[in-house]
Amino acid sequence: MNLREYRVFFLIVTAVLALLAASPALSRLLILPQTDFFTEFWMLGPNHKAEEYPFNISRNHNYSVFLGIGNHLGYCGYYFIEVKFRNQTQPAANSFNRTPSSLPSLFNITAFVANDEVWELPLTFSFDYARNETLQQVKLRSIILNDVSWDMKNYTITKNSQNNDFLGNLFFELWFNNQTTGVSQYHERFVNLWLNLTG
Amino acid sequence: MLRETRMSDHKRLYIIPVFLALVLMIIGFSPVFASAETDAHLAIVVAQNKVGDCYQAALAAENSGANISSLLNTLNEAGMLLSKANLAYNAGDFSSAYNLASQSQEELNGFVAGANVLKDDAAQARYLSFMLNVVGSIGGTAIVIVGGLVLWILLNRRYEKNGSGAK
Repeated sequence: MNLREYRVFFLIVTAVLALLAASPALSRLLILPQTDFFTEFWMLGPNHKAEEYPFNISRNHNYSVFLGIGNHLGYCGYYFIEVKFRNQTQPAANSFNRTPSSLPSLFNITAFVANDEVWELPLTFSFDYARNETLQQVKLRSIILNDVSWDMKNYTITKNSQNNDFLGNLFFELWFNNQTTGVSQYHERFVNLWLNLTG
Repeated sequence: MLRETRMSDHKRLYIIPVFLALVLMIIGFSPVFASAETDAHLAIVVAQNKVGDCYQAALAAENSGANISSLLNTLNEAGMLLSKANLAYNAGDFSSAYNLASQSQEELNGFVAGANVLKDDAAQARYLSFMLNVVGSIGGTAIVIVGGLVLWILLNRRYEKNGSGAK
């Protein structure tokens, strides 16, 4: 038996064993760095699916949706969701210019989400309003969202002549606390619900 | 004529004390309202700062590799109370605003200390993991390579001895 014939075999076995021994260290070193830092923001319907969103709503009736945030910023995110409501003539958030609506926020929901984690909030809301058929308008009284109530007495929705409905837009803008600047800024994302306030 | 004059004098007698009482009431009560508003505003600002400080502590703990989900639950609770405090303040309900902001502050009592404990534990666990996975692994690799080399040399010597003995 010539031992030199087994030289390559011996080298391969040693190299495989060395690689196995080095794998815990290599697994730490050979990690591709995260290059995309972003946040997911979504709204789901009452069955936790992207369907059956409330549209035709009745006075003082409860409706539910789910709001969710997926954090991929690379660090624990400090988010604010600004809850806003508008009629068809008032300014909306702009997806193209990536600007928020100039309307004041009714309520701010604060959310802290760990990196690569998901945060979700079940939302239950109801509207109190009065329909005036002669003036063809709806006068809002209040909105209740998760047991928090807002006085909405200055809000009026006029009838949409095309579809004969009274459309209001409940929307949620995502803001976040920028860790590098320390300033809260619009995160260029919003979700919204068009609601027809029926009789 | 005389009767009319007497009546107007009579009215004046009533008007002056009523006016003085009103002025005193305004002077007396306005600081109370102003104080309630200021207290609520102050409580909200303190709660906001506390939430910010606690967020920084949670961030530091996360950077050390700690699991901060329990910390974030507390922060979310405090954040919601603070949001409600702001809502009450904007609605002019300063008493509720003050109470909610105070509850928010109380929710965060001991938060920074807890976050620091998590941070230290995570740093220690990280050090141990580094020693085991990186230093241990590199050491193990070196042992395998050197061991393989020594084994090869020993086998070679033995083979050469046996080979020369056979001759």
